[in-house]
Amino acid sequence: MTKLLRTMTIAAALLGSTSAMAQDVPRVGAAVYGLNAEFMQLWAAALAQHPAVVEGKVNVTVFDGRYDALVQQEQFETMITQGFDAIIFVPIDIEAGATAVQAAHDAGIPVVGSNTRVNSDLLLSYVGSNDVESGYMEARYVLDQIGCEGGVVIIEGPIGQSAQIERLEGNQKALAECPNVTVLEQQTANWSRAEAQTLMENWLTRHGDNIKGVIGQNDEMALGAIEAIRAAGLDVADFAIAGIDGVTDALLAVKAGDMASILQDGAAQAQGALDVALAAVIDGYEPMSSIWEQYPDMPWNGGADAQYNVPWTPVTLENVDALLEMRQ
Amino acid sequence: MNTTAADRDIKTMAVQYGQKYGILIALLLVCVALSVVNEFFLTQRNIINVLRQASINGILAIGMTFVILTRGIDLSVGSVVALAGVVSASMATTSSTAAVAGAPYAFYIAFAVGILVGMAAGWINGILVAYFNVPAFVTTLGMLSAARGLTLLYSGGRPVPSLTPEYRFIGTGDLFGVPMPIALFALVFVLAYFVLSSSRFGRHVYAAGGNPHAARVSGINVKRVRMVVYVISGALAGLAGMVLAARTGSALPQAGVAYELDAIAAVVIGGTSLSGGVGRVTGTLIGALLISVVNNGLDLMGVESYYQQVIKGMLIVAAVMLDQARHKHA
Repeated sequence: MTKLLRTMTIAAALLGSTSAMAQDVPRVGAAVYGLNAEFMQLWAAALAQHPAVVEGKVNVTVFDGRYDALVQQEQFETMITQGFDAIIFVPIDIEAGATAVQAAHDAGIPVVGSNTRVNSDLLLSYVGSNDVESGYMEARYVLDQIGCEGGVVIIEGPIGQSAQIERLEGNQKALAECPNVTVLEQQTANWSRAEAQTLMENWLTRHGDNIKGVIGQNDEMALGAIEAIRAAGLDVADFAIAGIDGVTDALLAVKAGDMASILQDGAAQAQGALDVALAAVIDGYEPMSSIWEQYPDMPWNGGADAQYNVPWTPVTLENVDALLEMRQ
Repeated sequence: MNTTAADRDIKTMAVQYGQKYGILIALLLVCVALSVVNEFFLTQRNIINVLRQASINGILAIGMTFVILTRGIDLSVGSVVALAGVVSASMATTSSTAAVAGAPYAFYIAFAVGILVGMAAGWINGILVAYFNVPAFVTTLGMLSAARGLTLLYSGGRPVPSLTPEYRFIGTGDLFGVPMPIALFALVFVLAYFVLSSSRFGRHVYAAGGNPHAARVSGINVKRVRMVVYVISGALAGLAGMVLAARTGSALPQAGVAYELDAIAAVVIGGTSLSGGVGRVTGTLIGALLISVVNNGLDLMGVESYYQQVIKGMLIVAAVMLDQARHKHA
């Protein structure tokens, strides 16, 4: 009995000390869908470089969801058990993420969405970019290049993901403005460069010169199409090609004049989400990231907005060197 | 019904031919059908596309044939493709962020490193399977995970871009008009064909897979044979990883996911028995071509890619049913 009591006292003391520590510095967990691809690497790196993290004003832990909705849900349970003060959520699945958000909400932990959407009205706020906009911008670029007539192909992301659905909506909005443009092919290459390369090789065989433009819903797939064009002995300059995200290889391809890309500012999404989360945790918090100055179109509004739209930046010959510099 | 002896002979002959050449006949039928329904299928450019698209899977499948002939399986090839690709590319890139110190090195150094990385992964698989008696499924499943993790650690999850022109040659160049991936695939096929059909090691592979006990009694070092086949599979995965990186222009740490499944499919469709000892690398070649032809044909006809997966699944099962029928008759 005394032994049991003693154990309980120690446990209570330990618990007390951890919660005391937690009071000193708030703990924020970032549950991201997966860290295998470059984009999320950049997102996570930007989070770690947020001034509040660097200055020790907040303790941030990143959880790798390994592309599995169930893993993400279990990580939410872990964060709830450990009493995190706020959670930043980049869900793998638009629907499955809602359960996790509900659990955190029930435990009184604010959840801020970032980068990908979740179908839940319990999010404190969402800091991301509007994919319909980028889909429209990239398709508009391709259509302008080909003079609003001729044949184009669309290489889609995995069918059903929020980015694929919304970028396609944007693609179609632009295509509706050019009734003389024919969509010759529209298939998924699952964000993969190698899959897009195979698709494009086969499409070039089928349609030959009729393909004037390539709308890749991300950069990787646009880069695959470029390789297929080269492998077929054709001139990349004869095609209008666009992608989205601004990954490093795409920046290099823009610089070489092979394609257009639209930068999705993952760094701003990450740092913005952390500022919004901290505003919910710390009374009278003022945002510390420089992104609010960088994007005057996205006003801070006391961190109380339900949605923050990080603007897209078209990659151009003028800004590409500066963007590449930032990747060093 | 009465059947004469001559009828029976013809029937037996037909069955035998059907079993021996069934998969080749299936490939030819699919090709004939596709060239009838699609005007582009039989063009020179498309044939080159089909062969090029088959080459990476084909190289992996040839390595897999050696392993499956010894009753093994190598689930790690997709991850080894990525690991060897990323490591060798980091020695042949002009990008300052992704390169190892001193890069870019001469092509042959980067190439040798890629092959060695593949062989090292295969060697670990082989040692564990042959000398520690860990089931091949478990060993290579472990390597599938470990090699992917090492790839991500090594690359920091980022692609290795800006490969030197010499390096890119193995993916985009050509040799006397034959694109390099196809030339390498052909070279690997010819080597594997002679090793399996006419070398002592080849006979040992069949013996070790067909009846390991008898092979051991007759003086064959079965453990060593079982180890070497994984080294071969690893080396070819390394080669495939470099061809892939050279083709796509960057070594991607996410490359090669699920490639092991297509490689196993090509081997099985090609008639190599999963219970070991029976099979030919010619069958694997035809299996890899069949998968590629079907994908290409469906793309040319504008069929949604999801159907391609369904059709590939049916092909695999049909091939194994053919295999079972053959065993019943034998």
